[in-house]
Amino acid sequence: MTSTAGARFAALRWSSVNTAASSNIRDETLVRAAQDGDRVAFGQLYQRYVRMVHGILLARVPTAAAEDLVHDVFLQALRSLAAMREVSRFGPWLAAIARNRATDFHRRTQPNDSLDAQPGTAEALENPQRQIAIEDSIALLNAVCGLPDVYRETLVMRFVEGMTGPEIAAHTGLTHGSVRVNLHRGVQMLREKWQRCESPAEKEKGS
Amino acid sequence: MKNDYLWDGSGEPDPELQRIEKSLGRFRYSGKPSEFPTADSLQPKPSHFAFFTSSWTPRFAAATLFIVALIASGLFLHRSPTEFSNTPAWEVARLSGSPRVGDFSLASDSSKAQLRVGQVMVTDNSSRASLNVAEVGEIYVDPGSRVRLVESGSNRNRLALELGTIHAAIWAPPGEFVVDTPSATAVDLGCAYTLHVNDDGSGTLRTTLGWVGFHKDGHDSFIPAGAMSMTRPVQGPGIPYFEDASEKLRTAVHAFDFEPLSGADREQALRTILAQARRRDAFTLWHLLARVNAAERPQVYDRLASLVTPPANVTREGTLALDPQMMDAWWNAFDLGDISVWRFWEQKQAPPLLKKAAR
Repeated sequence: MTSTAGARFAALRWSSVNTAASSNIRDETLVRAAQDGDRVAFGQLYQRYVRMVHGILLARVPTAAAEDLVHDVFLQALRSLAAMREVSRFGPWLAAIARNRATDFHRRTQPNDSLDAQPGTAEALENPQRQIAIEDSIALLNAVCGLPDVYRETLVMRFVEGMTGPEIAAHTGLTHGSVRVNLHRGVQMLREKWQRCESPAEKEKGS
Repeated sequence: MKNDYLWDGSGEPDPELQRIEKSLGRFRYSGKPSEFPTADSLQPKPSHFAFFTSSWTPRFAAATLFIVALIASGLFLHRSPTEFSNTPAWEVARLSGSPRVGDFSLASDSSKAQLRVGQVMVTDNSSRASLNVAEVGEIYVDPGSRVRLVESGSNRNRLALELGTIHAAIWAPPGEFVVDTPSATAVDLGCAYTLHVNDDGSGTLRTTLGWVGFHKDGHDSFIPAGAMSMTRPVQGPGIPYFEDASEKLRTAVHAFDFEPLSGADREQALRTILAQARRRDAFTLWHLLARVNAAERPQVYDRLASLVTPPANVTREGTLALDPQMMDAWWNAFDLGDISVWRFWEQKQAPPLLKKAAR
């Protein structure tokens, strides 16, 4: 990425003027500024898209790895940003990098690694009730991650990251119709799956 | 609208969805905002094409507006309007020699052009080029190749490799990038691969990363990283195998797939495949199950089950009857890719009436 001192100065000045109202700034504007070397603009893109990236990763890799890979994805995006042509498609472009990074993660790790990393294990040991709740959450997340790609990605963004349907559509480039279909079919498949597999907590209560 | 709570959180809250939100919300991203390096400190990172050859380093020099305008105007002067569409074009960059797009030759170092639906790109024996779409991936085209863009859109991208060799690295979601050849269709399932087509329409597919579906007329072959499959115009894709499998296994698979064998020779080829198969070659036996006759199938099953423990709910009888769910469970047990991705793609390809019947 190359930028002249003048362009850099202009970008920094742009940032100082516009940061406060950044929520109204279009992605294209932020992407172009980031391409000119404006790290504040890139930071704004990070804030906008970090939930989507984490959601895509969490749907594919273990919980702990997903957090680590978020930074990798944005770093790779920063490196490749100068070559990006369709600046209005930043979200789908970033989503593709995240999916690719998840694939790469699996290529480099052992096939037996499980998706159900154990978040909050230490606190769970001190509080059995909390441990049951955590086990339930892990089982539920695993059930979601067992769905086909298109559904699990959308469900993780909706239920884990708290994104709305319109937000998912705007970020990923999917149509509203596709997101609606993914949400409804995904929830339906999750219900069927969940009913078939009794959660660990239920087993605990039943025994 | 009903179910708006699921859509955007508005409307009557659904208690079950709220429970899911609460339970899964604990996994929400909690990382601190990242700090990113300055532009100057960013070193160029090797492309994930590095596993091909170093001379393939992408050369995306900026094309001048003049050349693009010249190419565009030339195309429209020499082609009928029906040959073009408003769908997104693929960007072509010259890597060496003088690759041609339609009637135009890309001769200078910084030459670029666009490949539109219906157009053909040709490389002669001294030319190489790359094709690129930001959201889909990059394709490198070797000398002596002929590539047609069949379809280009947000969720569907299709090339036809009529002759020669392409190397693809695809980051679009699985199933969105497809390459037709005269004897089989390659469906990207999240991967990088090399596809070659000979003059007679036969070909080979080698997967470098992820996995690829290779199919024709009900013959499906799934080719994971490190494996390859041959294809012939009449028979379609053959049984895939890892390239580090024994020479005897590879020769026997080739004979079994494509050579006119006598009964005894066929039996010998089958015996060799089974005897030579390692645990890693279980996926080759999985393909073999569907291509042997009912009398041959039990020995293939027994060898497969001796290499890999049958998955839960999979029975010998069911496998011998090629029960679709059991066959899918077997495939997933190899940990080479989730077969539901393929099933989802298959479902999308089915004609509307078939889809309705499937429901």
